[in-house]
Amino acid sequence: MKRILISVVLIFQISLVHAMEYQKLSAIVIHDPWIRTAPPNAPMLGLFMKIRNNTNQDIRLVSVQAIGYVRAELHRTINHNGIMKMQKQSFMPISAQGDLDLKPGSWHIMLIGPEIVPKEGDTSMIYLEFDNGTTQTIHVQVGKGKIMMKHNHYTY
Amino acid sequence: MSKTTLLITVAFIVSIGVAVFSTNTNTDYQFLKRQLKVSHVLHNTNKVLPNFSLVDHNQHLFNNDRFKGKWTLLTFIYTHCPDVCPTILMDMSMLKSILIQRGVETVPEFVAITFDPKRDTPEVLKTYITHFDKDFLGVSGDQTQIDQLIKPFGTYYERSIEVDGKTVIIPNGQAMPESVTSYSINHTAWLYLISPDGEIFAGFPTPHKPHNMADDIELLISNY
Repeated sequence: MKRILISVVLIFQISLVHAMEYQKLSAIVIHDPWIRTAPPNAPMLGLFMKIRNNTNQDIRLVSVQAIGYVRAELHRTINHNGIMKMQKQSFMPISAQGDLDLKPGSWHIMLIGPEIVPKEGDTSMIYLEFDNGTTQTIHVQVGKGKIMMKHNHYTY
Repeated sequence: MSKTTLLITVAFIVSIGVAVFSTNTNTDYQFLKRQLKVSHVLHNTNKVLPNFSLVDHNQHLFNNDRFKGKWTLLTFIYTHCPDVCPTILMDMSMLKSILIQRGVETVPEFVAITFDPKRDTPEVLKTYITHFDKDFLGVSGDQTQIDQLIKPFGTYYERSIEVDGKTVIIPNGQAMPESVTSYSINHTAWLYLISPDGEIFAGFPTPHKPHNMADDIELLISNY
């Protein structure tokens, strides 16, 4: 009887830990990540996605690591009186219950110094770290992006 | 009809004729400007391109004569640009496809001149530019000449470097510290339509909308 009781308590605890982990992970959801296809000698590539924050707290994306690249940086392109300025960011803010769109001409992750420039259809492994202590690993495919494929257009 | 009335009538008819003639000779392209969707007529006979002598990605001389006798769509880029320049080149690629699909009589030649010839040699440009379209032409050359050439376009660029975690701007024409190896470039991102006379005819600011640009290019070329 004692053994059964211990087993039940253990199962309950494991389930609780899993539930807490799941809740923690689903707090941030990454939608439609893509790396823009680039020339074979491109020194850097752009990584885009939509980041969903399902929590009631503002969250920051604070760092990115990318396998196969020298480094990854957080950037934002700003149109300042017609001059397109590339501004390095120390973090990207995702508001509580909100989304942040990383897209051409706006917020984006710069993948610098690819060992080999990936071709269309290849994937890169990316680690995202947030200031709430969570991390996410995503496999991102290289392509022209949904928007480009549809011939619709984004704005700067 | 009195003599005075006759004179006034003749003067009125002549003035109307002069106005119509002025419009038809397209000297100011006012009638065209009103129909354009995403571009601006920049035609200005006082703004001529300086003499320049650059080199294309096939190592051939690229000077003023290369704009003569054909339409050219020109932009300025640099290959270390992760966002804006690839977007411009993709837009140009899309625009070219649209013009070809429409079966237009004149498809301009697409040319991209680098802001950054130090890193963008003709070899680098050839691999980079032809990724977007095999017929796109990249142009490199002497930095001073490129700096002179961009002036009549109203094009601007500046280098941005990081010193002790802070961003420092180096305006074009100003030398960079020798220790700097990594820099990005802030720049305007217009496309320009060059007429067969080798003059700046029209400009397309961002955001670039290829379908609307194709409409304007057809209109601009047919009314030149």
